[in-house]
Amino acid sequence: MWCQGWNQGPQRECLSVHMGQAGVQLGDACWELFCLEHGIQPDGSVLDRAPQPLEEASVELGAGSVDSFFCETRAGKHVPRALFVDLEPTVIDGVRAGHHGALLHPEQLVSGKEDAANIYAQGHYSVGSQVIDLVLERLRKLAEQCSGLQGFLLFRSFGGGTGAGFAALLMERLRVEYDGKTKLEFSIYPGPRISTATVEPYNTVLTTHATLEAADCAFLLDNEALYGLCQRRLGIQRPSYPSLNRLAAQAVAAVTASLRFQGPLNVDLIEFQTNLVPYPRIHFPLTALAPLALEDKAYGEEPSVADITAACFHPSSQLVQCDPQLGKYMACCLFYRGDVAPKEVNAAIVAARSRRSIQFVDWCPTGFKVGISQHVPLGPPRGELAATRRALCMLGNSTAVSQAWARLDRKFDLMFAKRAFVHWYLREGMEEGEFSEAREDLAALERDYGEVGGGFSCHSRAQK
Amino acid sequence: MIMNETLALDVIGRRVEVNGHRATVRFSGIVPPVEGLWLGVEWDNPERGKHDGSYEGTVYFKCRHPTGGSFIRPNKVNFGVDFITAVKNRYVLQDEPEEDGKEQTLIGKKPVENVGFDSVKKWQSQLNKLEEICLMNCAVSCAGDKGEIANLCPNIRVLSLSKNLLSSWDEVINIADQLKRLESLTLSENKLKFPSGLQSLPGTFSTLKTLVLNRTGVTWSEVLRCASGWPVLEELYLNANDISISERPTDVLQMVKFLDLSSNRLIDENQLFLIAYLPRLEHLILSDIGISSIHFPDAKIGCKTSMFPSLQYLIVNDNQISQWSFINELDKLQSLHSLSCMRNPLTEGATGAETTRQWIIAKIGQLKTLNRCVILPEERRGAEIDYRKAFGNEWKKAGGHQNPEENRPNEEFTAAHPRYQLLCLKYGAPEDGEFKTQQPVLLKNQLLTLKIKCPNQLDQKVIEKQLPESMTIQKMKGLLSRLLKVPVSQLQVSYESPKMPGREIELENNQQSLQFYSVENGDCLLVRW
Repeated sequence: MWCQGWNQGPQRECLSVHMGQAGVQLGDACWELFCLEHGIQPDGSVLDRAPQPLEEASVELGAGSVDSFFCETRAGKHVPRALFVDLEPTVIDGVRAGHHGALLHPEQLVSGKEDAANIYAQGHYSVGSQVIDLVLERLRKLAEQCSGLQGFLLFRSFGGGTGAGFAALLMERLRVEYDGKTKLEFSIYPGPRISTATVEPYNTVLTTHATLEAADCAFLLDNEALYGLCQRRLGIQRPSYPSLNRLAAQAVAAVTASLRFQGPLNVDLIEFQTNLVPYPRIHFPLTALAPLALEDKAYGEEPSVADITAACFHPSSQLVQCDPQLGKYMACCLFYRGDVAPKEVNAAIVAARSRRSIQFVDWCPTGFKVGISQHVPLGPPRGELAATRRALCMLGNSTAVSQAWARLDRKFDLMFAKRAFVHWYLREGMEEGEFSEAREDLAALERDYGEVGGGFSCHSRAQK
Repeated sequence: MIMNETLALDVIGRRVEVNGHRATVRFSGIVPPVEGLWLGVEWDNPERGKHDGSYEGTVYFKCRHPTGGSFIRPNKVNFGVDFITAVKNRYVLQDEPEEDGKEQTLIGKKPVENVGFDSVKKWQSQLNKLEEICLMNCAVSCAGDKGEIANLCPNIRVLSLSKNLLSSWDEVINIADQLKRLESLTLSENKLKFPSGLQSLPGTFSTLKTLVLNRTGVTWSEVLRCASGWPVLEELYLNANDISISERPTDVLQMVKFLDLSSNRLIDENQLFLIAYLPRLEHLILSDIGISSIHFPDAKIGCKTSMFPSLQYLIVNDNQISQWSFINELDKLQSLHSLSCMRNPLTEGATGAETTRQWIIAKIGQLKTLNRCVILPEERRGAEIDYRKAFGNEWKKAGGHQNPEENRPNEEFTAAHPRYQLLCLKYGAPEDGEFKTQQPVLLKNQLLTLKIKCPNQLDQKVIEKQLPESMTIQKMKGLLSRLLKVPVSQLQVSYESPKMPGREIELENNQQSLQFYSVENGDCLLVRW
């Protein structure tokens, strides 16, 4: 064992698994940010931080802590509780050689020899099946370091071969082996402007069908939305993957802040579900972040609570492209971080609401859940976003997300009607029936959203 | 704080707020024929007012804009609160009917459930533990009683007082003097009066690293006068103050790393020489100042200037830069590795965005980041090679030559392309072949017009066809077969050319092309079966 947990009480650890190029590179950006936020140096030691706020407050504020994400060795080194998996070695080698490569134990980096070539079938059946047992064994080791494992955070893309295929395989196995542990996903939804594979709709539909029952909550990060945000708000004319990943890492940091620091809301993985997921299949909350624009404001100015609240309710701050005004909310969590006074929050929400109509479903009694964490958020390194004194992350479960599924299903239908590229999957032993079955499931998902929202979403019919 | 009828005279110059709009009091008194006391104010927003300070012919006060002023009743005007009151208002709930579950904010019909707010309030109410506070838009106009701030919240490191009602630098000092740990102070949009004498209050800003004075109306001389009190200042923001740099900072501002001078449209390139020797200046923002040219006279073409020795990040967005000479000059900076040059005539012009980016990269050798996009080594290589090729013709015409002995491009060319020589050394001088503008490879350029004769068939007319020279004999026979209704296997084809009369050349290898057999335009195919 390379890591002895040095416990101070019941821990609630979260294991992160990063799969495929997208998952691994996003993971790189995320852990870089987490290390900055917790003051962890590239060699695993901790910088002296300013003392945490009031100890008494911790009783009410919930017990998120750095130990849920990092394991402290006897030597005082902090090791991320993470596993990086890819079916080909180049991306993982990049992590090994990178800035934070020394943080990770070599066994936390698993790479195969032949990649999944953007084909779900290879990631799930042929190539992926050769690596799955090794991955599960490594995960078992990581789980043994934990005294109270809460669950897993899975990072992957929908469009890639490993991200779609291998992730589906792993999640099925996790469901069996770690029954009862929560599984949260951070999934990258394909965006046309930065997409590299034509078959992304196939992979997305197949993997969503396969993991719909296995995942408890999935945060969609739409590449298209991220790309647009980088261009419009951050002034980056041609965003590259590193820029998108740094932005997505901000989202992940915001969502997981309560797990890593003392916070009021969503302090453990179960609470995410309780707060956000009304039905098991309807588990794709919309994420919005503010502040994100820095080109407009003069340097040295910070947005106020009112500013960031208004911004968060605007579709351009969302990380999934859809229009919430065409849907209804089933749940909405607002998580403020930094220098935020309670007085300002309610006023800001009322003001923002008066500008955009926010409709809730009738059958849901609670409306908004609002929490404030004192911890000031950090901007990403290399200054694309300056650090601000306050930030807001909105997680809302809206029926409008079905628009994203509808878009995807349309693309799937266009290609599948001609059976274009399907032979690549059939060669690996898949059948056309699997495609139809997966597509039916997505159509059912769209219908579910429609029912839940009372007929407000648009859905496409599956084509044979 | 609401003033009663008897106003003190020192109300003139005070900063006030009316319904969210800030203004400066310029007049107090009677305005006949209307009864009662009036205050004459000049709004921050020049369009907010009704007039310029005159009413029915009489001038009561002066404004800079014709609609900058108004007369207001004193009781409608908010003169602001002191610092501690503002802090308590924002962070501590005192004497307020607490939400006991009955009063709840509603949005539509849905309640807003506040989770954990009590702990936050409790934490924030411990004022003496607060290190970072923001009093933006809280109508702070004065420090309050002496020593009160030091008593209640002495540990403040980061303080934002933007958009408040502070009217003088002396008042700022009153506040800051009690905060011994102050590292960052934001005072944007407070129109401050600065004292005329030299500032010598040691210790007040001894730890201050960041100072934000955007839109405060401060002048450069005022900055320099106060700067002796900022011994460790590293970041200084002076956006939109109508600043013109009038003197060189000799003993002050020497630790400054970050300087924001954006939106000061009176700055020109000559004024920049006055700040060129700040030893630690790494990050300079000159956006929106209307600059169009820059020149470092102490350095010849291809040499480095001694000005701005530490400058790494330069931002010149939204200016009037239209000449490439600007970019050429930037190559003279010793430490520059990051440039943002967007929304200038140069970058919005006829040359495509991609090409403009390439040329900027090629012209500034040590640039690592352009417009917030990292320049990867492959991109730099591609940009430099393309640049060298694009100007190859010009270089030749200007006297450039592959032979280093004869390579003497004229001064004009070298001035316009200072790095060209270096690029030639790096990638080799451009070959003559690279200059030829290639004919686009259109299919029609490669079609041969051929006659087709069938010597054994007397009644067969001569047909003319256009065939691509890359067509294989196999395919051509197939074409002839369809044309002449003869099976392919029976065809024998040869050709004769008017250039070689009497000679017939057989086309027997089906895998070869017409080009292989040197069939040319105007030749004649002879088909027999």
